[in-house]
Amino acid sequence: MFLLDGAVVAKRQVAREMFVISIDAPEIAASVRAGQFVNLGWSPGPLLRRPFSVYRADGDRIEIVLKAVGEGTSQLLTMGAGDRLSCLGPLGHGFDLAAAGAKCVVLVSGGLGVAPMPLAAQEAMALGMRVTWVHGARSSDELCTESNGDVVIWATDDGTKGFAGTAVAAAPDCDLVLACGPNRMLAAVADRWADALVAVETYMGCGTGVCLGCAVPLKRGGFDRACKEGPVYRAADIDWPSLPSHLSYAVTA
Amino acid sequence: MSVSVGGVKLRGPVLAASGTFGYGTEVPLLERRAMGGMVSKGIFIRPRDGTPPPRIAETPSGMLNAIGLQGPGVEAIIHDYAPRWAGWDFPVFVNINGESAAEYGELAARLDGVPGVAGFEINISCPNVEQGGLYFGNDPRAAAAVTEAVRKRTSLPVWVKLTPMVSDIGVIARAVEAAGADALCAINTFVGMSIDLNEYKPRLSFRTGGLSGPAIRPLAVHLAHQAARAVRIPVIGIGGIVRAEDALEFMVAGCAAVQVGTATFANPRAIAEVHDGIAAFLESRGLGSLADLPRYLPRD
Repeated sequence: MFLLDGAVVAKRQVAREMFVISIDAPEIAASVRAGQFVNLGWSPGPLLRRPFSVYRADGDRIEIVLKAVGEGTSQLLTMGAGDRLSCLGPLGHGFDLAAAGAKCVVLVSGGLGVAPMPLAAQEAMALGMRVTWVHGARSSDELCTESNGDVVIWATDDGTKGFAGTAVAAAPDCDLVLACGPNRMLAAVADRWADALVAVETYMGCGTGVCLGCAVPLKRGGFDRACKEGPVYRAADIDWPSLPSHLSYAVTA
Repeated sequence: MSVSVGGVKLRGPVLAASGTFGYGTEVPLLERRAMGGMVSKGIFIRPRDGTPPPRIAETPSGMLNAIGLQGPGVEAIIHDYAPRWAGWDFPVFVNINGESAAEYGELAARLDGVPGVAGFEINISCPNVEQGGLYFGNDPRAAAAVTEAVRKRTSLPVWVKLTPMVSDIGVIARAVEAAGADALCAINTFVGMSIDLNEYKPRLSFRTGGLSGPAIRPLAVHLAHQAARAVRIPVIGIGGIVRAEDALEFMVAGCAAVQVGTATFANPRAIAEVHDGIAAFLESRGLGSLADLPRYLPRD
């Protein structure tokens, strides 16, 4: 885990109100795994850091994807090249792709849930897996069309692009399924593929395991920490009705 | 920078506050040289699951939390954590909780003499549990009864963490001093509530939570000062400390030491920065040690 000041290098728009920010953070870029996140702080900014899945890591840079869903993310989106962010990471346990020993993987994401998927695709391809990329949004203008897969499937709720319906409904079956999106969507993933690996959204305090703010209710009872044991879980292990969705700043860490 | 506080000598005046440092084993980038000490996450005798999410909500310059004292119970402290603390070069106080005075006493007895346990911080001020907690903290007789129950079962230093949710903190402070406390920690979080306007209901599942962070600092400085005026035992100031100047406010207002809590969430180096900043302040003012720091503490 590293704590470093990194400069914003670039920002690009990938869908309506949805942006990718690239940050110079060499130590994190060199060590991050798919599904892990960074906790970002800035000054002047909110009291707490904001967690983001790492979208891509390339050379010295990491990328995050975000929308203005609250005051913190709105401030982040006003930043430009040269502005500095305090980056704490990489944090959490990501997708363990190698352990699955699968020959193919389906990556299912909804909205901002696309965040961990480019890194997941990259790691899966390095392991020789065939990657199917499934991404959904409410409509075509909200759909992030950056992708990385041997097969790419789009889904929109209103049918304006690709499959008319959810990303979960659009996805084919496969040995290994990774998913990220609103928790309600992940509950649907759990219904269809108990063994899917899902990255959950929660509020977070510290991001490092000490505050216990990011409690994830487990089927076997009790809670653990999205930031430490998670954010990636076996889909059937989570007590979905007890895990809130629709967070006002819908992080995808 | 060393200070003597409530039965223990600390090499520095800055401690980690309970609930913001886990059991000291999870904290990233720990700078031990700056640690005056640590207070563990609050524990009960038995393991507890804690409250359902959402457990935290950010508020202006602060945060609400309702964790509900999730924890592994005393056996895990004895077998998993204390052996590690025993090898550390700063003291670890265990924040203890119970649903009755007898339960607090039992917990202290179980931990008394366990290598690695330097002392106790009695939590009579947690706003996020259904039983006990705050109840003991806003009744001077109950507060004294808990303190006495612990005092009888241990020879280790006993600190008592006070709640701000009282009409006169001096009354509680004097009651626990008379019951045998070695030091007071002032203060725990304020009870607060925040509403989600999309859902038309509280943002926390527990409905209310404990408010911490810079938002409460002036309230905390005042209450720590009031407690310090009321007693002869040392007071450890807590509440919204982010920088050295914040800690120094508590110390000038009568506190012997401070605890840094919520700031650590945002800045894992907060304790080290506060520690180093106090040293730099003393040097810049030509003060040889903390004992030379002028205090504003008229006695009641």
